[in-house]
Amino acid sequence: MPDRPLIETVDLVKTYRVGSSTVKALDHFSIDIEEGEMVAIMGPSGSGKTSLLNLIGALDRPDSGTVRVKNVEIDRLGEEQRARFRKHNIGFIFQFFNLIPSLTAIENVLVPIMFEKEKPTRKAADLLERVGLGDRFDHLPGMLSGGERQRVAIARALINDPLIILADEPTGNIDSETAREIVSLFKELNDEGKTLVLATHDRLVAGRAKVMVKIRDGRMVRGKAHSRDGMMSLSPKEGGGREK
Amino acid sequence: MSDRRPSFNSATYALSHLRHDLFRSTTIVITLGLTIAFILLTSSLLFGLVNEISGTDEKASILEGRIPGSLSMFEEFRLTGNELSEDSKSALVNYLLVTSTIVFAVALFIMFNTMSIAVQERRSEIGVLRSVGFSSKEVMKIFLTEGAVIGTISFLGALFLGTPFIVNLAAYLIDRGESGIFFVQPVIPLQLVVIIGALTITLTVSTTYLAIRKNLGVDPVEMLRPSG
Repeated sequence: MPDRPLIETVDLVKTYRVGSSTVKALDHFSIDIEEGEMVAIMGPSGSGKTSLLNLIGALDRPDSGTVRVKNVEIDRLGEEQRARFRKHNIGFIFQFFNLIPSLTAIENVLVPIMFEKEKPTRKAADLLERVGLGDRFDHLPGMLSGGERQRVAIARALINDPLIILADEPTGNIDSETAREIVSLFKELNDEGKTLVLATHDRLVAGRAKVMVKIRDGRMVRGKAHSRDGMMSLSPKEGGGREK
Repeated sequence: MSDRRPSFNSATYALSHLRHDLFRSTTIVITLGLTIAFILLTSSLLFGLVNEISGTDEKASILEGRIPGSLSMFEEFRLTGNELSEDSKSALVNYLLVTSTIVFAVALFIMFNTMSIAVQERRSEIGVLRSVGFSSKEVMKIFLTEGAVIGTISFLGALFLGTPFIVNLAAYLIDRGESGIFFVQPVIPLQLVVIIGALTITLTVSTTYLAIRKNLGVDPVEMLRPSG
């Protein structure tokens, strides 16, 4: 069997009910993401970026279609199996940081491994130092700036050494200087072999990604890859979103 | 330096949260603590009563000495001291069962409401825990630990602050020759303490379970969505 891409979505459909109407967040959306890629998903609000990340990250289930990650059809897994899958394979970074307000920075980083027998506190400390928060271990999120909170969230996402990092508008709530630092950190992680999928409005973020995918009304409008060697085109998959 | 850090587990998580949400935790602890102190107070006095009047008719007359008219009240039933004691014991049990149930029910209703509101406010926290890979059992464990910690603090508070208060107040009033409810020396048997402690913790944990239960079947994405 030929090597499959690390992340593969086929014909994803996801709808939400908003009041009495139904909104189609993803409309037969298909994409392949190879291991080690850094992909920026761009599009206006409500275009389906977050829905896509939620499906890839096993946080949600599609109405139809398949999400395959590491050769596992995660849409077929039960709720508890999906939780286990997230724990070992996915690191999430959210727009609003989603830290636990009552826990200190280092405790927030340790949360994902709280119930493990071995709690590598040293690793959590190293991660916080790596993201530049070596002097903020015992600070509560409320005492940290937006950029610092996002860095705690990044350290938390890395504690389990996941293969894939999913970031939803990671620079949406921080100043541009901090955003630049965070994007550099993403690039560094990508250079180390992590696969990153970033949903963003931010051109700065998208500009550093190897692959940029544009999405509108739940369909892929344009997929293109840019690297130092020049621009490469990345076509939407067969049956996927078509150019409008 | 990090090696000196105390281990991070569901108990430290619960304590951090209780400290963070101090107003709410204090409200719950005081409500529960007062309830338990009330139950300890009434039951200790009843046990004290049984202790004083058990055995002999002489004791019954001592009681009459303390509260004039009490013997005639009992005489209506033509009871000797021993019979009185037996009857008092079953009355005591009934009284304790009824008052404890009512008082506990009210306290738990308050606690259930408070916890339900707290859980609603912490939906996104549950969503975060689920998104970083917690199973529903693990989320449950965190919240139940919190319930157990609340129960334990309330109980210990009632026991170590409430009990000396009861005993001292009783001693003071007896010394002054006051009558009323404090005519007997309160007795707090160890068994009673153990039963009330176990009951408190069991009930706070089950109340928390009821408050959290319906939130665990929800998709993490729903939990993370801002409410409203």
